[in-house]
Amino acid sequence: MQLILSDRHIDLSGIEPSIPFIDLSKRNIANCVGCFGCWTKTPGKCVIRDDAVAVYPRIAESDRVMYVSRIKYGSYDTTMKTMLERAIPVQQAFIRLLHGETHHVQRRVAPKQAVVIAYGDLSAESKKIFRQLVARNANNMNFASYRVVFVPECDVEATVRKEAMAWAKS
Amino acid sequence: MGKIMILNGSPRAPKSNSKQYAEMFSKACAAETEYFAVTKTNHQAICHAMDGFSDVLLVFPLYADGIPVTLMRFLDTLAQNAPSRKPRVSVLINCGFLEPEQNNIAVAMLRLHCKENGYPFGSVLQIGSGEAILSTPFRILVRAKVKKLAAAIVAGQSQTWKVTMPISKGMFLKASTRYWVHYGKRNGITKEQMATMQIEQ
Repeated sequence: MQLILSDRHIDLSGIEPSIPFIDLSKRNIANCVGCFGCWTKTPGKCVIRDDAVAVYPRIAESDRVMYVSRIKYGSYDTTMKTMLERAIPVQQAFIRLLHGETHHVQRRVAPKQAVVIAYGDLSAESKKIFRQLVARNANNMNFASYRVVFVPECDVEATVRKEAMAWAKS
Repeated sequence: MGKIMILNGSPRAPKSNSKQYAEMFSKACAAETEYFAVTKTNHQAICHAMDGFSDVLLVFPLYADGIPVTLMRFLDTLAQNAPSRKPRVSVLINCGFLEPEQNNIAVAMLRLHCKENGYPFGSVLQIGSGEAILSTPFRILVRAKVKKLAAAIVAGQSQTWKVTMPISKGMFLKASTRYWVHYGKRNGITKEQMATMQIEQ
């Protein structure tokens, strides 16, 4: 399973076979309210029944993901960050040791090859922090491997298309 | 001595651990403090109120390895509605993991945000095991560090402290499992139900 999760529209026409694409900017996704319902009331399900509940199962089952996000001060901007926060039903409340650190146990989450396409605040400091963030995401989002690609905003679509075409050929 | 705005950026502010940390800070602080919690609708009001403060203490939990969106959205509004005199920004962050270092990246993000927007950066307290530590005897360790944080902010210093439960990782795994099993039990959910591998099924 493959998935492209983006905070903006990307024209992927002509790429065959097609790759599932979710434009988060067109989805209705509320902030996580930190209620722990997905861990302790309805395990594996978020209690907020908006568009996020159709997205995090797709993230979980995909073994190849591409995240496309604006970044600022070394963070995903709010559109992508909102979805990533809402994806915690894919984890359990329980804690395990991973690489000697404490992390949440994952539910049925496929190990992933991840590509993160980042645009926006591309200062050296922002890029450094963002790289550290994705490295930490790798532990908490089950990335078996990952690449971070920084691109100017004008090159986002071309870069995503190039990556998607490489997926389609492989 | 200045006046400190304590700003709770937790998505569950009224019932949050961050609120308890904020109260602990307020009690420990020699300077006058005033507490605010970020909501969807009060961003502008907080920005306007900020004019009367020498310092802001951001209190929030780690979310998905970074700053919670609740606080990020407020920072967006603040960038467009900056106070005429920018206060010094300090941070009190907690995460549920044992290692307070897991908060490092969120702190780095805030340092950069402050640098980019012209806010002086103050002191930091990073708390590990922050979901549970307040309900254990180790609460006194947190209180001691919160006192140091308060003193540093009043003195205009830039320092960083970390605190967590002084137990082994193995003990932490057992203790956190007990904590969460008890949490689920209050909702009528068993440990086995909480440990389901199913997602949305």
